[in-house]
Amino acid sequence: MQRSRTRNVAGAALVLALLAAALPGPATSQVRLSITKGFGEKVIVAIPLFRGGRGTLVNAEDVRTVLRFDLETSGYFSAVENLQFVDEVEADDRLTGRIDFVEWNALGAEVVVKGEITGDLENFSIEASVHDLAQGQGIMARRYSGKPRQWRAAVHSLADDIVRQLTGEPGIATSKIAFVSDVTGVKQLYVMDYDGENQTRVVKDDLMSMYPDWFSDKDRLVYTRFRGSRQEVYVVRTTTGEQARLTSFPGLNAFVAVSPRGNEYLMTLSRDGNPEIYRLASDGSDPRRLTFNKSTESSPRWSPDGRRVAFVSDRAGSPQIYIMSASGGTAERVTYQGSYNTSPDWSPKGDLIAYTARVEGVFQIHTVDVNTKEVVRLTTGGGHKEDPSWAPDGRHLVYSVRSGGKSDLTMLDIYELEPLQLTSGGGDYLSPAWTP
Amino acid sequence: MRRIVVHLSIGILMVCVALAMQGCPCPPEDEEPTAEMAAMGETDALTGEDIALTDPPEEVIYIEPTTPEFETIYFEFDQYRIRGADEMSLGRIASYLREHQDVRVMIEGHCDERGTNEYNMALGEQRALAARRYLIGLGVTAARLSTISYGEERPIDHGSSEEAWATNRRDEFTVSQ
Repeated sequence: MQRSRTRNVAGAALVLALLAAALPGPATSQVRLSITKGFGEKVIVAIPLFRGGRGTLVNAEDVRTVLRFDLETSGYFSAVENLQFVDEVEADDRLTGRIDFVEWNALGAEVVVKGEITGDLENFSIEASVHDLAQGQGIMARRYSGKPRQWRAAVHSLADDIVRQLTGEPGIATSKIAFVSDVTGVKQLYVMDYDGENQTRVVKDDLMSMYPDWFSDKDRLVYTRFRGSRQEVYVVRTTTGEQARLTSFPGLNAFVAVSPRGNEYLMTLSRDGNPEIYRLASDGSDPRRLTFNKSTESSPRWSPDGRRVAFVSDRAGSPQIYIMSASGGTAERVTYQGSYNTSPDWSPKGDLIAYTARVEGVFQIHTVDVNTKEVVRLTTGGGHKEDPSWAPDGRHLVYSVRSGGKSDLTMLDIYELEPLQLTSGGGDYLSPAWTP
Repeated sequence: MRRIVVHLSIGILMVCVALAMQGCPCPPEDEEPTAEMAAMGETDALTGEDIALTDPPEEVIYIEPTTPEFETIYFEFDQYRIRGADEMSLGRIASYLREHQDVRVMIEGHCDERGTNEYNMALGEQRALAARRYLIGLGVTAARLSTISYGEERPIDHGSSEEAWATNRRDEFTVSQ
């Protein structure tokens, strides 16, 4: 997949005006794939080149490349490799005006995604249909329309719809990742597509910014900003850059986590003389202290149901991951291996907490099962890996990897463990936060 | 009229005093004060310089600096306990604050690069808070002491050696407001 560093200058361009419309036909939205897949088994998908595209600014080969990347990255699909055969069968289908399920099956395909690109220089539409080749029936058909700069977003939407339709799981192709980069010389807030494309700077000033976290609207971010000699928390709308201050307490104003419902925050403050965890109302007022220890309490993250908090404490002599009620009270320690476990993030599925652990001097990404306390190490090799953040599918993580004196962001499927580097811009890429 | 203005640096004087009393409390790579001292001679804080006789100075004014340079203090790896070697530095800050009741101090806590980015932000705050507690213990009013952590974001030495790390694990003190 190409990783062009194209910056989408107009942040507003990220507001999608995509029209996804169900097309008339035999497809219904309830139909799922007839094949039942075991754990780790993939659906084999054939993606013939979409028809049309002439006279538009959308390239059919690019569409196929992105769609294939999206479907394969989801973890549920494997694309038929031989594109020449795929396109030959598609050519025969077009001649006969029907779908030759036998020929498609002969390629090993279980589903085929067909499509057509229409439009002009101002607007485009991609009509796509998905067919279950074992049953010989359509599964879904949709049209995606927009401005030329939105073609990638349209393909991402198609991919997510296919994933949801066939697996019942949320896709991640339309998700975004906020992060911090110092490519301008100062750590600044950026947002990019989940595949590393469309990196866009959110706030255009020269103040150091860190620790972004998303609201559930996937538009607003909360983050810590160093203004004067203060840490302050701001809420910024990523599509417009407009922002407002949320907190400016003495000392730490860090690691803000927006509640799943978006109406409360958890954060670390030192206003009472020690780093402790506080719960704040939606306007940043009324900080309610949840921890009471002489130790360092830090990095709170909500459980997906909003009832519990994962956080870091060194109350036992070294930083470890704990969980407690979101109302405070007794905390339960969940990590016991190693002497440096930090940066928890609670899976949207609720079962796992990802975190950073120091192993033989190198930070590696781990998960711990909230119930069984089983620890799984996900990364190996040199280069510190820090700050994991879960994708909305509860299957992928993004984190920073330090190598050659700089950090880049990497995505990992926790079942397949093949890291995919998302950034390579020189300078540090840190503190990733995946949209919920 | 030509004037020679000599700025007395409290920081430099303090380092000299500290040297005389207990040896340098700073890590060896903290070269700045010692380099200046070498330029000024080992024993005297002030030194002379030849100037052209054709243009003699008519007046020499000594100005006490309005912004004091407080000494930086340092920490052990992963620790935020105040080291014995730094207690005198903090004592001098406290005594300066006793004599200048209008001065408020910002304490900046910093870390080396070895912890995680995130946890270092908390550790840096603990280092700043440790100094704040120590100064409060010496009678400084809490309201005059602010803290901020920069975690590992603002190293003095960008290297990755023991010396660089030791230099970067520090509290800096500046006059605020």
